[in-house]
Amino acid sequence: MLHTRRPAALTAGLAILALFVLAALLANLVAPYDPIAQDGAARLVALSWAHPFGTDNFGRDILSRVIHGARVDLQMALIGVFFPFVIGTVIGSLAGFAGGVVDAVLMRLIDIILAFPFLVLMLSIIAILGPGLTSFYIAMALVGWVSYARLVRAQILVLKSADYAVAAASLGFSRPRILFRHLLPNAIAGSLVFSMSDAVLVLLSGAAISYLGLGVQPPVAEWGVMVAEGQPFVTQAWWITLFPGLAIVLLAFGFSMLGDALGELMGVHE
Amino acid sequence: MSAPLLSIRDLDVVARSREGDRPLLEGISLDLARGEVLGLVGESGSGKSLLCRTIVGLMPSPALVRTGGKILLKDQDIAGADPASLRRLRGAEIGMIFQNPSSHLDPVMRIGDQIVEGIAFYRGLGRAAAREAALEIMAQVGFTDPPRQFSSYPHEFSGGMRQRAMIAIALGCDPELLIADEPTTALDVTIQAQILRLLMELRAKRGLSIILITHDLGVVAQTCDRIAVMRQGRVVEVGEKRALLRAPQAAYTRSLIASHPSMPVEDECGEVDDVSDHPVAATDVAGVAGTPAPAAAPATPGRPRPLVEIDDLRVCFPAGGGLFSRRRSFAAVDGVSLSILPGETVGVVGESGSGKSTLARAMLGLTPLTSGHVAFEGESLALKPRATRERLHRHAAMVFQDPFNALNPRFTIGETLAEVLRVQGKVPAARIADRVGELLDLVELDRSFATRRPRSLSGGQCQRAGIARALAVEPRLIVADECIAALDVTIQAQIVALFRRLVRSMELTLVFIAHDLAVVRHLCARVVVMHHGRVVEEGPTEAVFARPRQAYTANLLAAVPSIDPGQSLFGPDPRLTVSPVPGTSRQGTNP
Repeated sequence: MLHTRRPAALTAGLAILALFVLAALLANLVAPYDPIAQDGAARLVALSWAHPFGTDNFGRDILSRVIHGARVDLQMALIGVFFPFVIGTVIGSLAGFAGGVVDAVLMRLIDIILAFPFLVLMLSIIAILGPGLTSFYIAMALVGWVSYARLVRAQILVLKSADYAVAAASLGFSRPRILFRHLLPNAIAGSLVFSMSDAVLVLLSGAAISYLGLGVQPPVAEWGVMVAEGQPFVTQAWWITLFPGLAIVLLAFGFSMLGDALGELMGVHE
Repeated sequence: MSAPLLSIRDLDVVARSREGDRPLLEGISLDLARGEVLGLVGESGSGKSLLCRTIVGLMPSPALVRTGGKILLKDQDIAGADPASLRRLRGAEIGMIFQNPSSHLDPVMRIGDQIVEGIAFYRGLGRAAAREAALEIMAQVGFTDPPRQFSSYPHEFSGGMRQRAMIAIALGCDPELLIADEPTTALDVTIQAQILRLLMELRAKRGLSIILITHDLGVVAQTCDRIAVMRQGRVVEVGEKRALLRAPQAAYTRSLIASHPSMPVEDECGEVDDVSDHPVAATDVAGVAGTPAPAAAPATPGRPRPLVEIDDLRVCFPAGGGLFSRRRSFAAVDGVSLSILPGETVGVVGESGSGKSTLARAMLGLTPLTSGHVAFEGESLALKPRATRERLHRHAAMVFQDPFNALNPRFTIGETLAEVLRVQGKVPAARIADRVGELLDLVELDRSFATRRPRSLSGGQCQRAGIARALAVEPRLIVADECIAALDVTIQAQIVALFRRLVRSMELTLVFIAHDLAVVRHLCARVVVMHHGRVVEEGPTEAVFARPRQAYTANLLAAVPSIDPGQSLFGPDPRLTVSPVPGTSRQGTNP
């Protein structure tokens, strides 16, 4: 049975993601103000025609900052997912396919990493490397791969005893060919779906780390930083925190829609 | 003539979808008398199981709707009954058992409690009384020690015992009608014979009416009074068993009977099967059997070197034990010696767990050998593992049981075949596309199948593709491991015929592993009987089947249900001889 109808979640997810990608690409054209230009005359201005999302305590336009923030946050979500995905897939498939000592060593390594709370481990690595986006990506790559590795390993373990894998072995296919051409493409669907919900996680931890002052440094517009900066003023100027917060929620929602749709399309839940 | 217990009239069931209704069952009319056994036969997808689920009001999906017709149980229309009364009906009047007992038993509940649960609910007995009743039923269905087995869990039982437990649960509520949906398909022949015998005993003792769904005409011929043949949601033919098997009216019934790989009847008492008076056997011999003993070893001058030589082979798997206890191991293959000459067709038969598949894999170097030797074309796998494996890769191939699992779901059939050709390098790159087409021709698939993926193929088509992949190697040896077990009977017959042609035209050596003795008898010149990892008997097929030397082989052969009702599976037991119940001899209402 081939799916002829597209799941509604796919359309919704793609639309939301497209919105943010466009905002990021065309930020200079779309944003009404310079995101870091301060305007002493227009501090903490409420929503108005001149400033639809209001301004912050430095008089910077929130709408422009949210739009420019999409650049940083999208980049964070993509890079923050990509490296763990690649590293985890390679390590997981090797562990599952090789088995034996290789598997045992890699799995214990994963157990060790999992023994630490995620954020604590992230924070300590960033603290060692010094604050900044690069440190965040490195920490993400060092910590985030474990989930992918476990997912892929479990799939490979099941698939390597599938008859078509046995058939491939009996036909004299080389081991790399069996692993990368036959098993991995069939094993990867689950991790692809997971990567979408992982993007949400990365986005939130990126925002959290920036909020704690270890990620993106001011005055760069980033949603987590914006939420952090708006916090002292939340009683007088709620818009400073609300709009970047909403942006985070909406993008996360888009990713998770996409994840659901991918899962449905690739029959992961079958 | 008593009123029928169950009467189905013009039953229609459709699948609702946005594109409109698709009929699944059309105009089904059937009667079942008290104490009668009705066999429901047909291929998968013919609507047998759906019909029975409709009777008890357990539709597999809310999209399936009954659009017309009546279901009369004791003259009461139960088709539109409300859920509460249907629920009472299901236990108390109609019991059901299914193909796979393991998935229908609660794994974390003791067997006895599962039986008591139904008894207490439907008969309103107290715990102690219900327990007494459960123990009695367990004894009835053949549990050897009910008080002890009462507190065992399903995983402690074998498949046959689990099916007995299912029957006990169904009978606990004292139903008048038992619906058995492929109750023995997952079981070995000897266990199948026991379960069928049990069903017949219960029917004799309790006056139970049974609807037996099966794809095996042999099972039907041995147990049922009447047979209904279903195809594509319709009943194509209903009739008294003997009459229907002797003179089938519908063309589909005839092809179904013709594809049944029944044993040719050879009785040592001199009772020769009269072919002229027996259209069943006649079509059988003509349609499927072909010439007996095909592809015997070619009589080459001098003794030909065996293609495969297996000497005292043992393959063990670790079983339990570990850190603190001594490692134990389980010998799947335990001291097997066997040699196979080029051009031979060898059948390996035995019950599940007898080590057939492990032997097959060991033969192809796919599983580590614990001890002993396997040699292919004179090269020993133990002494020269690399070279021998290389040879095996290039001259031997395997065909698998589950046709869908055997092909990479992401590759088209063409890609799968082309990859084998590319890796093996026996065909120049420019010729690969042509060769793929030729391979598809060989297995009688249209060349357009090259662009299709396994998911869009039927089981039989997938299996042909799997055979094409094996042939792509240009093998001298093909090992087919239960390769027809997952297919419908008519498709099975086609695949067997295909193998027969290939063996004859391509000088193949075939090792055919099956639990279906009849198929092996038709296809193979030599047969090897395995039991608990050992070879108990081997020899020319006809000799082994006609005069088995070992008691185990004889039991195995006797347990195969014959399509001829005269060849009773149960021996001369007067209680079980199936005599038509009064009122069932009339022909069915459907022509």
